Amino acid sequence: MSEVVIRVAGANGDGIESSGMLLLKIAARSGRYVFGYRSYQSVIKGGHVWYQIRIADEKLYSHGSDIDILVALNQDAITYQLKHVKEGGIVIYDPSRTTISGAPQGTKLIGIPLLDIATKVSGDPIMRNTVALGAVLRLAGIDIAVADELINETFSKKSQQIADQNIKAAAEGYNFAGVERTFNIKNDSRRRYVLDGNTALSVGAYAAGCKFYAAYPMTPASGILHWFASHENLGVVFKQTEDEITAINATIGAASAGVRAMCGTSGGGFSLMVEGLGLAGMIEVPIVVVEAERTGPSTGLPTKTEQADLLFVNHAAQGEFPRIVVAPRSAEESFKIASEAFNLAEMYQCPVIILSDLYMAEHIEGVEEIDADGVKVERGRVQAEATNDGRFDRYKITDDGISPRSIPGTPGLEFVAASDEHNEYGDLISDVFAGIDEYVEKRKRMHEKRMRKIDTMLKNEDLFKPELEGGQADYFFVTFGSATMPAKEAVKLLSNEGLRFGIISFSYLLPIDAEKTLKILNGKKLIDVEYNFTGQLAQHIKSATGINIEKRILKYDGEAFTPKEIAEQAKLIANGW
Amino acid sequence: MATSYASDIKPIWCPGCGDYGVHAALNKALIDLGIDKSKIMIVGGIGCSSAMPHTFSTYAIHGIHGRVLPIAMGVKLANDELTVIGVGGDGDGYGIGGNHFVHTARRNLDITYIVMDNQIYGLTTGQASPTTLIGTKTKSTPFGDIEEPINPISVAISAGATYVARGFSGDPMHLAELIKNGILHKGFAVIDALSPCVTFNALNTYDWFRQRVYKLDASYKAEDKANALQKAIETETTNWQKIPLGLIYKENRPTYNELDITLKQGSLIKQPLPTKDQVRSLLDGYA
Ligand SMILES: Cc1ncc(C[n+]2csc(CCOP(=O)(O)OP(=O)(O)O)c2C)c(N)n1
Ligand code: SF4
Repeated sequence: MSEVVIRVAGANGDGIESSGMLLLKIAARSGRYVFGYRSYQSVIKGGHVWYQIRIADEKLYSHGSDIDILVALNQDAITYQLKHVKEGGIVIYDPSRTTISGAPQGTKLIGIPLLDIATKVSGDPIMRNTVALGAVLRLAGIDIAVADELINETFSKKSQQIADQNIKAAAEGYNFAGVERTFNIKNDSRRRYVLDGNTALSVGAYAAGCKFYAAYPMTPASGILHWFASHENLGVVFKQTEDEITAINATIGAASAGVRAMCGTSGGGFSLMVEGLGLAGMIEVPIVVVEAERTGPSTGLPTKTEQADLLFVNHAAQGEFPRIVVAPRSAEESFKIASEAFNLAEMYQCPVIILSDLYMAEHIEGVEEIDADGVKVERGRVQAEATNDGRFDRYKITDDGISPRSIPGTPGLEFVAASDEHNEYGDLISDVFAGIDEYVEKRKRMHEKRMRKIDTMLKNEDLFKPELEGGQADYFFVTFGSATMPAKEAVKLLSNEGLRFGIISFSYLLPIDAEKTLKILNGKKLIDVEYNFTGQLAQHIKSATGINIEKRILKYDGEAFTPKEIAEQAKLIANGW
Repeated sequence: MATSYASDIKPIWCPGCGDYGVHAALNKALIDLGIDKSKIMIVGGIGCSSAMPHTFSTYAIHGIHGRVLPIAMGVKLANDELTVIGVGGDGDGYGIGGNHFVHTARRNLDITYIVMDNQIYGLTTGQASPTTLIGTKTKSTPFGDIEEPINPISVAISAGATYVARGFSGDPMHLAELIKNGILHKGFAVIDALSPCVTFNALNTYDWFRQRVYKLDASYKAEDKANALQKAIETETTNWQKIPLGLIYKENRPTYNELDITLKQGSLIKQPLPTKDQVRSLLDGYA
């Protein structure tokens, strides 16, 4: 694989984000694989931020480890990032604004008067990003014509003058003396979408007919909020609510009324949603809830990543009820999982929780395959017409636990959906009847009916087990969701060194098919890789299968795993086995 | 046209509870309006009063404590063609659900919200509620309540509700008119229904109310906001000697669904799902 890792570093407000996105799109359209990640802080202006763009001729699952090209937009960028530049790497800096000393031997320093050029071309200092972009394109061996095309598409909506100035700025950087092609990354003619996890999830939900999204702003789920808010013209309703309690209860209301509905938040907001989650479980309303984790506990690190809410979402709310928990393992899979989630919610009439995290939500991926045609809408057991004169038994006791559902507005199928324990018709059995023999039995039967849906899911769907890759390997990483991505790349790094690693990764986490899961894990040398302190996936696996994964690579500093750090720790573990 | 919207379910209420009168009033309003019962959604919270949905044969959700309005909002946004009615207690609506009360008013959703205000927590056996009067001894205020009660009428008006009325369970015919006009009103209609708890509130009894309530007459101008706010605080200015009943404030303002860019096109549930071509062209924007 040939690749280049570019890190653009500066302050919030420098315009790094939009130029980073532009570079990703240019590289993708020029026929390369891309991966992007933005590291930022909970401040609006200033601070130290960086955007990493990785371009390669193979599918990427990580923003990479060390930097090939550093674009330093201020002095902090040099102070904090110089040490991450690879041996023989390149630093682009503006000699009129910054100074460099102590760069490792062999580092190629390219001083470009970014600000002066930007001012000359447009009068707007923000365009120094575009000058740097031009230089990076040349170094990375990417055709500037593709850049002109994308710059035009991006900026001409605002004004043709701004588009033209940006094209000029890019050309100035591209042609600046001393900027020469250094990397050679093969390209192909495949079409690629450049999607962050939140966008892929939102589009997947939309494709599946999600018409309602309710949320209260919270990083890192806000990308979904912004997506739905800006696509209201596509026939969806986005409702910003006064709190997350409202978000989930409004979602329950909308889903009860028959539309596909979703809400989303991070751990703090999910904490407020918990009682509503139980309501959805009890009245058997199909809702989808996104929980995009950030570093906790409490407010934690709002702009950093973690996977420490797995056991929380698995158990959240009082009492027992069926739920599905699923964590996408890439942006590509986020699309698929979001679209599947609505079918599962409606078929099993239960909440589906999509467990994401900051890295999953905000990383940007070049996605080749999005199967828009493969999205199927299955609405489950909906009764469209009254079949007899009696009352509608909405909560009918059935063998598979799934009862017929009616959509309000349908004559003759009226019922009360009650959060109190109820009989088949939805009538309370919690008050004057509670404790009377006949009703003790009714409660038992109704609870068993609901819980039977778990058996039905496990029987009907082949989803609730991990995926095994590299069956012949000597060691296996065990992951769920986001951590799967860097672990996949670590497998490659290790194989370059002759170590045979495979990966066993979970997207669907709950329910868990203990038998199938045991079969996949049994007898293998396993290393648990996740973003938390207590090894929550390992605990989950142990409670289902009895297998105790003792070897663990755990990270809880808020930063994303690099493939290199997983590989290095894995080597130590493998050597000591 | 239905002769009754009541179900066969026996209410959970104590004999003499004010909620019977409110039930009768809502039933009468629905009968007068003649709405198809499959097009009605009644949403309750948790409390004695919140169990009211079971006593009707419409679609209903008996949800969780305090969340009547969020659930009702979701229903109304999903299907504008349903008549959405929220029911609950003062604890449910003004206490634990207070945040939602203010924000739903602001949104002017076309929902009718009936609060059975008994100035006490009934179902949990008699603790103070947000409308309990100062000095009242309850299980949670054995030395007398020391917090100023919330004034749901003035709060509703200030927050932006467009139909604000007060009725009395002891006068179900009058209350029925208020509810009926609330349902007909396009926008968020709040009806604070004084509904005595005969078991746990020894102060605010039917007699106590009968001595104090009076009906606003035809000369009262409900469209004048300043005047309405003045009327709303009459309970405080007269130290609860005079309690006005009737429509206190009314305003015509576009509803949320009339303003929302998507809902303007019609009821959400009737809008088509995206076609494969639409999804593909959306995706093309990311290439
Ligand atoms: C989250 C939560 N907290 C507390 C309760 C217990 N609870 C049930 S009803 C109620 C208050 C009832 O008072 P109100 O809403 O005024 O209704 P009323 O019974 O007087 O009609 C409380 C506190 C609950 N069900 N849920
Ligand atoms: S406790 Fe009070 S509010 Fe509850 S049913 Fe009895 S009288 Fe009504």
